[in-house]
Amino acid sequence: MQDKNKLIGTPVSRIDGIAKVTGKAAYSTDYPVKNLAYAVLFKSTIAAGNIRSIDTATAEKAPGVLAVITHANAPKLNVDGGIRGGALLQSPEIEFYGQHIGMVVAETFEQARHATHLISVTYDKKEPKADFEKLAKEAVPSRDKEKADASRGDAKAALREATYKVEEVYGTPIEHHHPLEPHATIAEWNGDHVTLYNSSQIVNGAQSAAAKTLNIKPEQVRIVTPYIGGGFGSKGGQWANLVLTAVAAKQVNRPVKLALTRQQMVNSVGLRQRNYQKVSLAATKDGKLTALAHEITTHGAIKNEFIEPCGDCSKIMYDVPNSLITYRTVPMNVILPTYTRGPGKSTGSFALESAMDELAHTLKIDPIELRIRNEPERDPSNGKPWSSRTTVQCLRAGAAAFGWEKRKAEPRQNQQGNYLVGYGVACGTYPAHQRPTSAIVKLKRTGNDIMATVELAAADLGTGTYTILTQTAADALDLPLRNVKVVIGDSDLPPAAGAVGSVGASSYANAVNDACQKITDELLAKSGKQFYARPTAAQLMRSEKITDYQTRIDAKPLESAEEYSAHSFNANFAEVTVNRFTGMVRVNRFLAVTGAGTILNPKTARSQIIGGNIWGIGMALTEESVVDPRYGNFVTRSFADYHVPANLDIGDMDAIFIREDDQKANTLGVKGIGEVGIVGVAAAVANAIFNATGKRVRELPITPDKLL
Amino acid sequence: MRPFTYTRASDPSLAVRELAANPTAKFLAGGTNLIDLMKEDVERPSAVIDISALTLTEIKPIAAGTSKGGISIGGLGKNTDAANHPSIRQHYPLLTQAILAGASGQIRNMATNGGNLLQRTRCPYFYEVAMPCNKREPGSGCGALEGINRLHAIFGWSEKCVAVYPSDMAIALAALDAFVRVKRPNGEERSIPFTDFHRLPGDTPEQDTNLAHGELITAIDLPQNKFADRSYYLKVRDRASYAFALISVAAALEVTGNTIVQARIAMGGVSHKPWRALTAEKMLVGKEATAENFKRAADAEMAAAKPLEHNKFKVELGNRSIVLALQMAMNGGKA
Repeated sequence: MQDKNKLIGTPVSRIDGIAKVTGKAAYSTDYPVKNLAYAVLFKSTIAAGNIRSIDTATAEKAPGVLAVITHANAPKLNVDGGIRGGALLQSPEIEFYGQHIGMVVAETFEQARHATHLISVTYDKKEPKADFEKLAKEAVPSRDKEKADASRGDAKAALREATYKVEEVYGTPIEHHHPLEPHATIAEWNGDHVTLYNSSQIVNGAQSAAAKTLNIKPEQVRIVTPYIGGGFGSKGGQWANLVLTAVAAKQVNRPVKLALTRQQMVNSVGLRQRNYQKVSLAATKDGKLTALAHEITTHGAIKNEFIEPCGDCSKIMYDVPNSLITYRTVPMNVILPTYTRGPGKSTGSFALESAMDELAHTLKIDPIELRIRNEPERDPSNGKPWSSRTTVQCLRAGAAAFGWEKRKAEPRQNQQGNYLVGYGVACGTYPAHQRPTSAIVKLKRTGNDIMATVELAAADLGTGTYTILTQTAADALDLPLRNVKVVIGDSDLPPAAGAVGSVGASSYANAVNDACQKITDELLAKSGKQFYARPTAAQLMRSEKITDYQTRIDAKPLESAEEYSAHSFNANFAEVTVNRFTGMVRVNRFLAVTGAGTILNPKTARSQIIGGNIWGIGMALTEESVVDPRYGNFVTRSFADYHVPANLDIGDMDAIFIREDDQKANTLGVKGIGEVGIVGVAAAVANAIFNATGKRVRELPITPDKLL
Repeated sequence: MRPFTYTRASDPSLAVRELAANPTAKFLAGGTNLIDLMKEDVERPSAVIDISALTLTEIKPIAAGTSKGGISIGGLGKNTDAANHPSIRQHYPLLTQAILAGASGQIRNMATNGGNLLQRTRCPYFYEVAMPCNKREPGSGCGALEGINRLHAIFGWSEKCVAVYPSDMAIALAALDAFVRVKRPNGEERSIPFTDFHRLPGDTPEQDTNLAHGELITAIDLPQNKFADRSYYLKVRDRASYAFALISVAAALEVTGNTIVQARIAMGGVSHKPWRALTAEKMLVGKEATAENFKRAADAEMAAAKPLEHNKFKVELGNRSIVLALQMAMNGGKA
C-alpha cells in the first residue's frame, strides 16, 4: 500500500494555508449574513442557589435592545438533548458560578453589552461546593461502568509485601482549553430550518444536539464549520451558547451572532477537571514491576458526572501482574468537566510516569532501562496482541538523538553558573480507532482534465484535515494535488466521525481512500473491459468518455481490527534549566519520538506533535485555573492570568516518527497523533526538574515558588 | 462598556482644563489598560479625552544649569521608544531592562510612559465587578485579603487592600529617583519625587497615586547617576514573557574599589507602590560588595515582610532576588 503512494507521507504544505494567512478562510462569525443582530450573554454571580428576581426593565429600554431573554421568558428546550453543561435558561436554579442566566439581543454588539450592565439580579444563595481539597474526602465511586474498580491480581497485597516501592499522590489543576477562536455562532432561520455557523469538532453531533435540544428534527438544522480556530475538546460536545443563539434568532426574527468573550470562556464550555492521583508501584530489586495501583479522586459538576480516564495509561503501559485502577468523584459547583486534549492520558501519564521516575531513582536504574524491562508483549489489560507498539524503539531512538548519555544519573550534579541542568524522560500512549464515516467522491472530466471533489462532514481543527484528505484522494485516484478538492465542515455532507479522540485522520482518510477505490472499481465494471494492470479512475473517465461520475461509501472499521489492541505510543525527552536562586524553569530542548502508524503528512504531523508538546509544557509549568472556594469563581479569567507558554518559554522543539506499517489497525495504517502529542510531556519536564534540582514536585504547575 | 463621549485633545493646557471640569472624565493615551477596564465595566468614564496626539513624546537632555541634569522622557512617548533610545540604553540600562521585562512587544508599542505609571492593579478581585474590592468600589471589602492572594502584597498593605502595583518600568524609576513632571489645570507645572508618586493603600485604596484629577504627566525626569555599569532588573514570574512579577528587583550600585558608595534597590510585586528597600540600601553603603553583605541586607529588608496566606514564598523569593539582582548588577548584568 505505502509503496504505491506518491503523496501520502510527503510534507505537503497545508493547502488552506494561504486562505488562512490572508484572512480569506471564513470562521464562524466571519459569514456576511445580512440584517444581523447581536446577542451578549450575562451570567450568574453566585455558584449555588436560585435566582429570586431578574429586573430587565431598564435594559429592555436601552438603545438598540431587541430582546432580553431569561429563564422567565425563554422557550422550553429539551435539557437532555445532548447539549453539555446545562445553562439553557430553563430554570432559576444556579449550579455554578458564571452560569448563563440570560442574554440581551440588540442592533449592535456594543448596545447588547451595555444593556447587560443594566440588569439587576437577586438570589437565594446556598453555600457553594467549590473547595476540592475539602470535598475530595467525600468522593464516591463513579456511576460510569467504565470507571468501576478494575483489578488484576492483587495489587494491594503485592504492595504490602514489596521491599522496593513508590506510593505518592500527584495533583493536577483545573485547566481550560482556551482555543484562540472563542466559541461563536451565527444562527439564521429560514422558516422552520436553522443554519448554525458554529465551530464544531463533531459536525453531526452538533447537528443532533442542537436539533434535539430545540425539539426539531436533525434535517431542520444545518451546521456550517469549514474552519475551526482550535478546540482541544471544548468544541466536541456542544454547549448552551450554540442553541441559545438559535433561540435568540427565533425570538427577534433575525439572524443573530453570539460570540463568547475570553472571560466568559472559563465557565461556558467545560474544563479539564482537578485530579488527585495516588500511584503505587512495587518492583523487584532489578526493576521488574510487581504491582501498579492508580487511584484517582476527582470531581464532576453538581448534577452530572464526567471523569477523564486518568488510569488508561496505567492499564496498558507496563507488564505487571497485579494492577488496580479506581475512580472516586465528588459533585462540585463548577461547569461540567469535559474532554481536554489527551483526556485522562495527559494527566494520568504525569502521575504514572513521575512515579516510574521515582522508582528508577530509588532502584538506581536508568529510567529508560526501567521502562524497557517492563515492556509488555501483549496488551496487559485484555491479552490482545498489539497491532503495533514501538515504545522501545521510541525510547532508544530518542535517547540517541537527544544525547541521553549526557544525563547525570544523580540529581543536582549538573550546574552551569546560576543554573541547574536536568534531563527527563517519560512515555505516553493514546488509543487508535477508526470510526464509521461516509464520503462522496465526484469526478468531472473536461477534455483530458479530471477534477475530483471529495465531500464528507469532517472537521478540520486547524491541524491539516484538508491537506491530508487531498493527499489521500490524489494518491488513490492517481491525480495531482491541484485536481482534488476537499469539501468538509457541513452537516449537509455525508456523515463523518468527529475530529476528536485522535480518530479524525484514520476515519476520514480511510473513508476517502475507500471511496476512491470504490469509484475506480465501479468505473472498471462500467467499462466491461479487462485490463492487464488496474487502470486509474482518471484513465477510465478518459477511455470511457465519461464526463461526470460519483459514488458514495459508508466506510467502517476493519472487523479484524477488534482482534488487536491499537494505540499510538511515544517517548518524550526534556532538558531543563532551573535558576537556582529564583526557581524559574526553562525547557531548553524537547524531543517527542512517536510511533503512530502511517504519518500522512510529516509536516502537519510535526506541527501537531509540537503543539501538543507545548501544551504539555504549559501543563507542567504554567497552566492553572484557580477557584476562590468562597465564591466558586475563577480568578484566572484572561490570558494575563491563565498562563499558556509564550514564545520565550519554548526552546528547541523536535519531533521524530518511528516508521510503522500497521495495517492491522486500519487499511491505511493511520493511528492518530492529535492526542498523543501531549501525553507524557508534563512528566518528562517534571522528571527533568527532579534531575536538575533533586526536588520532586507532585502538584502541577511547577511554578517558581515550588522550587525554592 | 458604557456609553461615553470621546474628544481628541490638541493642546495640553486645554486637555487638563477639560478633564478638570468633569470629575468622571479620563485621559486616553495608549489605551492598553483603560480600554480593557472599560470593556470589563471596571472603569466607567463619562468622557474620554484622547491625548495621544499631543506631542509630549520627546526624549532630551535636561537643560544644563538645572541641578538634576540627566534626561527627560516625554509622558506620551511610547514605552518601546523609551526603552530603545540610545541615551537611555547607555545611561539608564536599568530602565531599558525594566521596560522590556514588562508586557509584550505589541503592548509596549502602544503604551505610553505616563500611562505606564498609571496602570491599575491586576488583582482579579479588582477586575471582576461582581467581587468585593475597595479599590473599585470603596466600602465593598477586599476580596483578596482572605481570598486567593498568591500574587499580592507583603509590604505596606492594609485591611482595605492587599493589591500590588503592576508596572516594571516604575520599579526602575523608583530606584533611579526619577521625578514625575505634571501639568496642572491652572497651567502650572509641578515635579513629584518618584517615591511620593504612588501611594500605599491605607484607608483609601481607590487612590493609586498622589496625582490630582486634571493633572497630566508631561515628562519623567531622570537625574544623572553613576549606576550605568552596575545595575540590573531582575523579574521573577510564572512564565518567561507577558506575566506580571511574582517579585522584581531593580538594583543599582555605585562602587569604588570594592566598596559600595551608593546602593539603590526597588522591588515590584510586593506592595501597592514601588517598594524602595531603604533598610537594605542603608546597610550596604560603605560596605564591601560581597555575597555575605548582600545576604545580610536582604535579610534585614525582608524581616519586615508581612505575607498573606498564599504568598509566604515571596519572603524567601524576595530575599534571594535581592541577592541575585545585586550580584548581577556587580557583574554588569552577566550571570
